[in-house]
Amino acid sequence: MNFVQVESICFYAALVGYFAAMVLFFVFFAVKKDSAGRFANVVMVLAFAAHTASLVVRGIGAGRLPLTNQYEFATSFAWGISLCYLVFQWRFCFRALGAFVTPVVIVIFGYASLQNREVRELMPALRSGWLALHVSTAIIGYGSFGVSFAVSAMFLMREKMAHSDFWRQNVPEGRKLDLISYRAVSLGFLFLTMVLVTGAIWAEQAWGSYWSWDPKETWALVTWFIYAIYLHLRISRGWKDKRAAIFAVVGFLCVIFTYIGVNTLLPGIHSYA
Amino acid sequence: MKKGIRFLFSMKFALMILCLFVLVCIVGSVIPQGQTEIAYETAYPGWSGMILTLGVDDVFHSWWFVLLTVVLCVNLLGCNLIHFPGIGEKGNHPIPAAPAGEEPMLLTGNADDLLRRMGFRSTRTEDGIRYGIRNRIGRWGAWLTHLGILVIIVGFALGQIFTAEYTVYGVPGTTHPVGDTGYTLTIDNFTIALRDDDTVEQYTAELTLTDAEGRSVSGQSSVNHPWDAGGMRFYQNYTGWAADLVVYRGEELLQTETLCAGEYLTVRDREDLILMFRAFYPDLVTDSTGMPASASGRLNNPGYLYGLYYKNELLGMNVLRADEKITASEYTFLFVNPRSYTLLQIKRDPFTPVALLGGGILLVALFIAFYLRTEEIWILPGEDGSEIRGRSRKGSLLYREKLAETIQTCNEVSK
Repeated sequence: MNFVQVESICFYAALVGYFAAMVLFFVFFAVKKDSAGRFANVVMVLAFAAHTASLVVRGIGAGRLPLTNQYEFATSFAWGISLCYLVFQWRFCFRALGAFVTPVVIVIFGYASLQNREVRELMPALRSGWLALHVSTAIIGYGSFGVSFAVSAMFLMREKMAHSDFWRQNVPEGRKLDLISYRAVSLGFLFLTMVLVTGAIWAEQAWGSYWSWDPKETWALVTWFIYAIYLHLRISRGWKDKRAAIFAVVGFLCVIFTYIGVNTLLPGIHSYA
Repeated sequence: MKKGIRFLFSMKFALMILCLFVLVCIVGSVIPQGQTEIAYETAYPGWSGMILTLGVDDVFHSWWFVLLTVVLCVNLLGCNLIHFPGIGEKGNHPIPAAPAGEEPMLLTGNADDLLRRMGFRSTRTEDGIRYGIRNRIGRWGAWLTHLGILVIIVGFALGQIFTAEYTVYGVPGTTHPVGDTGYTLTIDNFTIALRDDDTVEQYTAELTLTDAEGRSVSGQSSVNHPWDAGGMRFYQNYTGWAADLVVYRGEELLQTETLCAGEYLTVRDREDLILMFRAFYPDLVTDSTGMPASASGRLNNPGYLYGLYYKNELLGMNVLRADEKITASEYTFLFVNPRSYTLLQIKRDPFTPVALLGGGILLVALFIAFYLRTEEIWILPGEDGSEIRGRSRKGSLLYREKLAETIQTCNEVSK
């Protein structure tokens, strides 16, 4: 069995695992039994382990970090969201969040499965240590924004489910959700800034220009501006709770466009990704 | 006037500028930049006039984009100047009121234990109330963030104004002037490292830079590893194919010139006769449509696509294999010695480190702002224990939760 086969097995095990976790999280909401939530979380951890294994095997097989094409970045993006979910779930202890995160993971994972999975050698410009740093920070940053999206969606739904005892017991109060979303945005914003800085350093070494208004660069900056506006609105205009939640949802849509839309619709020097 | 200045430095105005930046960036990324007038007329019929008049064809270099950036800088600078005095002050802050609807947090355990567990190293007592503060640096987070952005913009702007940029290309063994610097650059060697599957692993140019006094320094530049010499940076940016074109008049050798693909040669004694070297195929094959193509990047079966012009009229266009000749009137043309040429981009930008320094400041500042949050604690003595109040500028709720948990631990320990 070669590494491609092992990677495929791990990849599909992760896909099945995430899907099962999503179903179990929905069951948790439907039957309102804590055991279903606990089980869903265990499955989520197992799926994450399989996902990690698929990335590690691909990395070993390719002899480099698997972060250089659309497939690799998509699967890593989904991995980043899962990682951030597990960290936030561990830190804030509410597994109901899984019901909102797993669909996002499934969609991005599904997108990854549609991409060309062939392992290719890197073009010279991509053979840089800065690439690993640039893309790794993007994975954590985008993953955090994914979690903020899920928490915000949860916040918006919680308002409509205020009458439900289950929601009151298993989903933190609105103010806390708002703060968790803010924490996720803060983490994402810090990492997005790292993405821009490391990308600039790398571009300077590879192309002799640290900023060239390439569509991908420009949209990463747009995303940065949008979250900067979010952070300023919280401070200056008191935009918290519902309005902040809506803004976080819009911000994540911008992240998705920066990641998928730009590569597809606005070709530039990042087109190889 | 005062009102206007206050507005110019306000966060409300900052938000308006950020929204405008978002809008401008979207426009600049959606509408192709730097195209010809005809391209805009074709792509946006009826709108091309407006696009060109407003500078939307080159948004990021338009005067209004520069103005917007200047206004952002003024706003950031003003904001920082206004907030500077307040950030450093050490005065006692008013005790926050206990949150409505919440039970007061009562400490029956040891106050020093609580302070230690919460990470407060020192406190001061006034009127019997103990006050502690930690992560005072957190107050500088936003201020430093603005400073970082300002340094980036200033570094970038100065770079745009003062950067000197040159391009040199040629085959190994040739020497070229580096713009108006007085330096000359010799391309000693150029290698393309191929993998077994014919993909390129690295392009490397070996170079010698010589100044006006004849002092030389040698080094190499490859992709991702630019060479620094003479206060300039040399980037291995592009490569292509070149060949020597030999021209005979009758039996007599008339001229020999090295041409890169895309260049042309004018016959020395017949200036209206031009041969253009259009493309090169190192491993010539014919594709399914009958067009010339290259099977690999290796020099197995060279093919030269040429165009021959006389008085600007195309006389003929074809692909020549090695040793095949073109004859026009008494002139014979022959391509020999195909090899790769290198294109080097050369930059002298003393302000790049400034912009990168700004990036560094920005990262540190955001870390301070988000993860070294200033936290305060007040211990108010009472009969049944001490009432604890706490405040954190960002995330007070989570801070108070942590405080409540720690108080509970301290209370249990003291039992």
